[in-house]
Amino acid sequence: MASHRGEAKLIAGGQSLMPMLNFRLLDPALLVDISRLPDLAQITASGRGITVGAGVCHHALMRSPELAERLPIINHTMQYVAHMAIRNRGTIGGSLAHGDPAAELPLLAVLLDADIHITGPAGDRTARAEDFFLAPLTTDLSEDEILTAVTFPNLAAGSGWGFEEIARRTGDFALAGAGAVLTLHHGVIADVRLAMMGVDETPRRLPAIEAMLLGRAWDAGVRASAVRQVREQVNPMSDLQASADYRRHLAGVVAGRALDTAWAKGHMP
Amino acid sequence: MQDDARPKLIGSRVQRLEDPRLLTGAGGFVDDIQLAHTLHVALVRSDHAHARILTIDVSAVEALPGVLGVYTADDFSAKPLHATSRMKGYQSTGITALADGKVRYVGEAIAAVVAESRYIAEDAASLITVDYAPLPDLVDPRIAAASNVLLHEHHDSNILVSRKFARGDVAEAFANASVRVKDSFRFHRKTPLAIENRSYLADFNKGKQALTLYSSTQVPGVIRDALAEILAMPGHSVRVVAPDVGGGFGGKASLYPEEILVSLLSRRLGQPVKWTSDRLEDLLTTSQAFDETIDAELAVDKDGRLLGLKAEILGDVGAYSIYPWTAALEPMQVAGFLPGPYQLANYQAEVVAVATNKTPAGPYRGVGRPAAAFVLERLIDMAAKRLDLDPVEMRRRNLVQPHQFPYRTGSGIVWDQSGFTECLELACKGVDYPAFQAERNTARQAGRWFGVGVASYAELTGIGSRMSAAPGMPINTGTETATVEIDASGAVRATFGVASHGQGLETTLAQIVADELGVPVDGVQVIHGDSAAVTHSTGTYASRSAVLAGGAAHLSGQAVRAKVLEAAAFMLEADADDLDIEDGIISERGTNKTLSLAEVGRAVYSEMGRFPLDMRAELDLRATKFYDPEFGTTTSATHIAAVEIDPETFIVTVKRFLVAEDCGRLINPMIVDGQVHGGIVQGIGAALFEEVVHDQNGQALSASLVDYVAPSAAEVPKLEVLHLDTAARGTLGGYRGMGEGGTIGAPAAIANAITDALSHLNINISQLPATPERIYRLVTQAIEGDT
Repeated sequence: MASHRGEAKLIAGGQSLMPMLNFRLLDPALLVDISRLPDLAQITASGRGITVGAGVCHHALMRSPELAERLPIINHTMQYVAHMAIRNRGTIGGSLAHGDPAAELPLLAVLLDADIHITGPAGDRTARAEDFFLAPLTTDLSEDEILTAVTFPNLAAGSGWGFEEIARRTGDFALAGAGAVLTLHHGVIADVRLAMMGVDETPRRLPAIEAMLLGRAWDAGVRASAVRQVREQVNPMSDLQASADYRRHLAGVVAGRALDTAWAKGHMP
Repeated sequence: MQDDARPKLIGSRVQRLEDPRLLTGAGGFVDDIQLAHTLHVALVRSDHAHARILTIDVSAVEALPGVLGVYTADDFSAKPLHATSRMKGYQSTGITALADGKVRYVGEAIAAVVAESRYIAEDAASLITVDYAPLPDLVDPRIAAASNVLLHEHHDSNILVSRKFARGDVAEAFANASVRVKDSFRFHRKTPLAIENRSYLADFNKGKQALTLYSSTQVPGVIRDALAEILAMPGHSVRVVAPDVGGGFGGKASLYPEEILVSLLSRRLGQPVKWTSDRLEDLLTTSQAFDETIDAELAVDKDGRLLGLKAEILGDVGAYSIYPWTAALEPMQVAGFLPGPYQLANYQAEVVAVATNKTPAGPYRGVGRPAAAFVLERLIDMAAKRLDLDPVEMRRRNLVQPHQFPYRTGSGIVWDQSGFTECLELACKGVDYPAFQAERNTARQAGRWFGVGVASYAELTGIGSRMSAAPGMPINTGTETATVEIDASGAVRATFGVASHGQGLETTLAQIVADELGVPVDGVQVIHGDSAAVTHSTGTYASRSAVLAGGAAHLSGQAVRAKVLEAAAFMLEADADDLDIEDGIISERGTNKTLSLAEVGRAVYSEMGRFPLDMRAELDLRATKFYDPEFGTTTSATHIAAVEIDPETFIVTVKRFLVAEDCGRLINPMIVDGQVHGGIVQGIGAALFEEVVHDQNGQALSASLVDYVAPSAAEVPKLEVLHLDTAARGTLGGYRGMGEGGTIGAPAAIANAITDALSHLNINISQLPATPERIYRLVTQAIEGDT
């Protein structure tokens, strides 16, 4: 990578890179295949959370018992990623490094406050997910670095969670998506995170709405207010599938539904 | 057909004989064919919609290892071929291998790189630069129709076809009407989207001065005749072979520039030359369809009876008038079929087909009829709503009744006897219409946006020599041929001019031949898709192959059966009338005398001395027959859909879909069901998903399968199909064509169901596809309009 700086590309599952090569959008001089590095294929539970190697594919995330026990939102959300053939090859490292603003794993990384582990000539470093995504298809990763693993911190005991996305067809890129996690205390929201995808240049949390929800019950009035504020705070683009107006509308729908689910799950014993 | 007691293959759900090959990856498509010394082509395509070509700079390419040459229009002297028409005022366009001096749509081929591999050819193509002098991009057909800027300089205007016709007294019908409903309807552009992209391999044999083109075409006979003309070669020296072809849907039913190009290059270079489209090229260059704006108005009396219909049809036919069908095909079919299966005496229509800077339009499953059914079925529902009449009852009162056949429609089309009313009743019975409505009402009361929609239609299929497949087209497509022969081993071969590209014709035609001869179905080898195998044929399109090739299969099968029985009667010293053939064994009734087909074959060909001299002159076990159904036949159906719309996301889900159809006698109900299913899915695509989008500069925005959204299995409900299964009177075997109907009824039924689901907001669906974006806008406007 160092000897071909700017001319080399890592390839693992190839689910984003291969289409770009086929369209001749990219023309790297060197492809470095990291798909058979055993260290990148591990899912490891620790006291703090779960560390997932960059080479773990979406399907393995979907089926992971470690995640099912502590972070089931990840298992659940993987069903929205494209189709089985793609989930069997596409990796978490590839998805995060590609940085598509409408992809599920970047949203989950931001929502769950993940640490992204990076190695390069200058040594190891860790980036916060919130700081990692800079612009559409642009991340904090430099050309000679490699994303090695992601650590998702445990959710607080009793957390409720929800994920919703709207796409034209099953498996398509999201027109809008939202993830929510929350905890309750005495029937009101004690802690909450809400993140959106597909409606901004990068996946992002909505801290003003999170703050508004603290100390409140998720009732019809609060819900209507949150949905309205989501629509005010997102900044979607228009494309062939959806106008910015319609995406803004959908952002409110998915945020409301994700919080509905999270609130309901938060009440489960 | 002999009337013996054994079970017939015709009517049986025989498993498709081609499937073991296709499903195990053992099929052979054009791109699978590997000929020694094959050269590969990559094309430099226009990124302008409308421009003059100033210079083509190929200097960066010529030294590239592996490149054999770069060719432009200047390198070929072949004259352009025109799709001619007898229609008055029609303006034709020429088709050439490469753009000559001017480009007229994004994706039009300008230069061809020939190289040792496609990779090298693509690398080289990317180094070629083209200088353009841009011309105004004519993207909107209304603007193009009035523009002084011409796509084709020799034309008077960009209007390629303009036609008016009227029948009855439309003005009086409208004056007497109790209810008049009208709207401006928009059916957006589609692409056929076959799973196999177009692929061509030309192999010119210098020694024989003969060309073989392997082509992913539906119409090998049409292509053979066209290439013979373009290449100035005798027809016997041009052979077009369509091997396994992965779907066509009309997109492979026309002549393409690349077919001409690889043929010219192979002849020039003396080596095989191959070009296979990638998906981007397919989405830019395969013929597109269904691009119409239709302003229509319907007049109805107080009892809901249709009195009169007026329509103005504006067709956007793209940059060229496609060969051989012409630009008249789609918009004229809209006008022709707009009166539908109804009693409607007074009709007037105006059709204008306009050239624009877009991909040429051509045939696509349903041709014109999906848009026609959409418009008329919407208007009928609009009128029914005004009269507070149930949509089914409205149709019941207006459908052509059984005693009225043959019925001449307002556009001049004649419907022969077909189950118009029977299909409507069968569909209603199939869904239990009262219970279906009750379910809808219950859902509505619970606040769900739930709707049901009905659509009835009729179409002409199996068109014979007295009709034209495309209005004004000079080629007559009214016959098909079949040769049935038994060889010295007793094996049966049936050779057809039609070309199967997914329809299962290797099975259905074998069923007919096997029934006629009394042999097992898997003992019949079906040859198809090879222009050299028959003297003349056109191919498979327009729901014709079961009727025409099936009819020819009956005739030639019967003729060969008679020959077999004549030989066997002589060998057994029996009377031919006393012989039966079953499982390839000929037996004399009432005796234990038998002969196998192999014994007869061996005797006829290898032991001919057993027969007297005067018998031998006619004794080959072979017959070629042609079948011409003369007019063709009428296929009809009623589609019923239930949809639910998410009131927050506006995404439409098809909850239930049922078809009751009359395609005459079924040869293979499993294959018929599969054809109807596939058609419905393309209809669902037209109703909800698929749309070719161009920007104001004629750039194709829907140029990948991320952006051109076709339904996948997850978007399709369980499809229910009911058949009348009664033999058509007018065709041999009693068949009617059925390959396209699913696509015709589904958009209309779904549009009506969506409108029903949105009835509380008084929204009419007048544009398809009804995407969530469009429904969002309609709902937003309706709500804002209310407040």
